[in-house]
Amino acid sequence: MPDQVLELRGLNKSFGALTATSNLSLTVMPGEIHALIGPNGAGKTTLIQQIYGALKPDSGQVFLNGRDLTGLSVPERVRAGIGRSFQISNVLMDFTVLENGMIAEAARRGQSFRFLRPAFSDSNLIKGASAILDRVGLLNRAHLPVGDLAHGDRRMLELALALAASPSLLLLDEPMAGAGPDEGQRMTEIIEALRGTVAILLIEHDMDAVFRLADRLTVLVEGSVIAAGTIAEISQNQAVKSAYLGDED
Amino acid sequence: MTGLFHFANLVRAGIRDNALLWMLIAGFALFPIFTHFADLPFWNDVAMRIMLLGMAAMGLNLVLGYGGMVSFGHAAFIGIGAYCVGISQFFGMTNGLFHMFLSIGVCGALGLVIGYLALRTTGIYFIMITLAFAQMLFFLFVSLEQFGGDDGMSIDRADFLVIDLYEPLRLYFLIWVALALVALGLMFIVRSRFGVTLRAIKSNESRVEAMGLVPLHFKITSYVISAVICGLAGTLFASWQEYVSPDIMHWTRSGEIMIIIILGGLGTLAGPLLGAIVFLLLEEFLPLALGAVAPAYAENWMILFGPLLIMVVLFGRGGLIGLLDKAGFARIGKRKMAVK
Ligand SMILES: Nc1ncnc2c1ncn2[C@@H]1O[C@H](COP(=O)(O)OP(=O)(O)OP(=O)(O)O)[C@@H](O)[C@H]1O
Ligand SMILES: [Mg+2]
Repeated sequence: MPDQVLELRGLNKSFGALTATSNLSLTVMPGEIHALIGPNGAGKTTLIQQIYGALKPDSGQVFLNGRDLTGLSVPERVRAGIGRSFQISNVLMDFTVLENGMIAEAARRGQSFRFLRPAFSDSNLIKGASAILDRVGLLNRAHLPVGDLAHGDRRMLELALALAASPSLLLLDEPMAGAGPDEGQRMTEIIEALRGTVAILLIEHDMDAVFRLADRLTVLVEGSVIAAGTIAEISQNQAVKSAYLGDED
Repeated sequence: MTGLFHFANLVRAGIRDNALLWMLIAGFALFPIFTHFADLPFWNDVAMRIMLLGMAAMGLNLVLGYGGMVSFGHAAFIGIGAYCVGISQFFGMTNGLFHMFLSIGVCGALGLVIGYLALRTTGIYFIMITLAFAQMLFFLFVSLEQFGGDDGMSIDRADFLVIDLYEPLRLYFLIWVALALVALGLMFIVRSRFGVTLRAIKSNESRVEAMGLVPLHFKITSYVISAVICGLAGTLFASWQEYVSPDIMHWTRSGEIMIIIILGGLGTLAGPLLGAIVFLLLEEFLPLALGAVAPAYAENWMILFGPLLIMVVLFGRGGLIGLLDKAGFARIGKRKMAVK
């Protein structure tokens, strides 16, 4: 097994005159939580989109477990081991919580192209989906339509769906966004519990959560990495203080 | 008596979508008894037409209702199915089973090609492309002079093994069996892993991609299945009408089966059949009713028809099934939970 789960080499991406990603290299190690921070519009989501395969970089490469992902589509990258939550929560709204889990479980098992047996009464799918939901503490709300779920619970469900296929890399784009303080706390605990089991690239604006969760930190400003390292290293970094915190001492 | 009691219970508890579907299909099986004793043989003909359009609408509903793809060209597949009969007969092939297999092959292949090309687009572009393909086929058959061109060609009812479709009710029950098989197949499909994934794609395509699945594969597959079902309805339509012309694939028929689905209830099993029943009965009775009240306006019955449809769609929000749901007679919206 190669050292790093994710390796980005010299990624570049512009939208017209705007440079969203500039000669960006980054690694995420097995089991680590790697936080990606930066002001609004720094290019964090754009970067995740390129790892995920929804956006094509202008140049540069993405390696997952040593495998070059260039040219792979989103579903291919997911099957290669990438799980993802979106900045705006992205779940199946017309279904119940359990049904969300069951559809993901069927996909994980490679059984989605079956036409005969009813899906939602299949005991294997129910079992698998229940295990998925249990990981984020949603089992007691399994029968609620997703539309009736509190916002924070939808974020939990999305995390559960991203975890369903046992990815080797989890991309979390502001998982606490829009959640209340209690929900944010719960989400932090759940992500904390994932440490060591899956490599996580976490975008988050809530600095308390970042300080608590991140093993390492990368600071992005206008598409460039201005600093990378442990929290202790970053908090001493002058460039971060001036550029990111606007702190000119 | 117990039967009736049972039925009342069923109604009180809310009739499920598929129960309603099979009640309607059972109704079609018993209908000829009624027409026999009421001495109204003409109504068998109307019932066959309802079953045929209902079957086509059920096919389109897989794509439109469950998959959320607004295909405006499905009449083309009905037409191709019908021409499979006409053209086969032209070359001396009178075997009905052959017509059906031919239609399944041709409509499946055509559905694959059209689906593959059209499903690269979404929204209004998808609607326009499916319509464009259907129009192309329409004008192709208008231009094929040896098959009657504009005027079409007359057709003999097909040979079905030992069944003589000219005997009374033979065609009726052939259509009924096809309808029941299509209903059975769709019932399995929409509840299967494929079916729920298709619905998930309609609900949120990007989440399904994030599960590692390719939405396009599911969409194309459903498109092919629906094309084949419409083609099957077309082959039977040809025997029923004993005639086929490009009119059968006119764009207004694509619109008609779309309206039937929306009227009955998008994305439900019973909706398209219920919609076909109500739509075609209104088509029969509205002119008569209007004629009785205001004879001068009898031929303008469409003036009533349009607003009536719009009202069902607006207030039903889910068509007639939606209205039944609201009135407490059906429980389509409140779905059964997997475990308690
Ligand atoms: N598809 C696009 N076309 C043009 N410009 C884009 C596109 N996507 C993003 N951008 C621009 O690229 C820059 C980076 O956007 P991005 O969404 O990656 O920022 P972010 O760091 O995720 O910000 P936030 O914290 O607000 O989510 C922004 O200026 C944005 O307007
Ligand atoms: Mg963002």
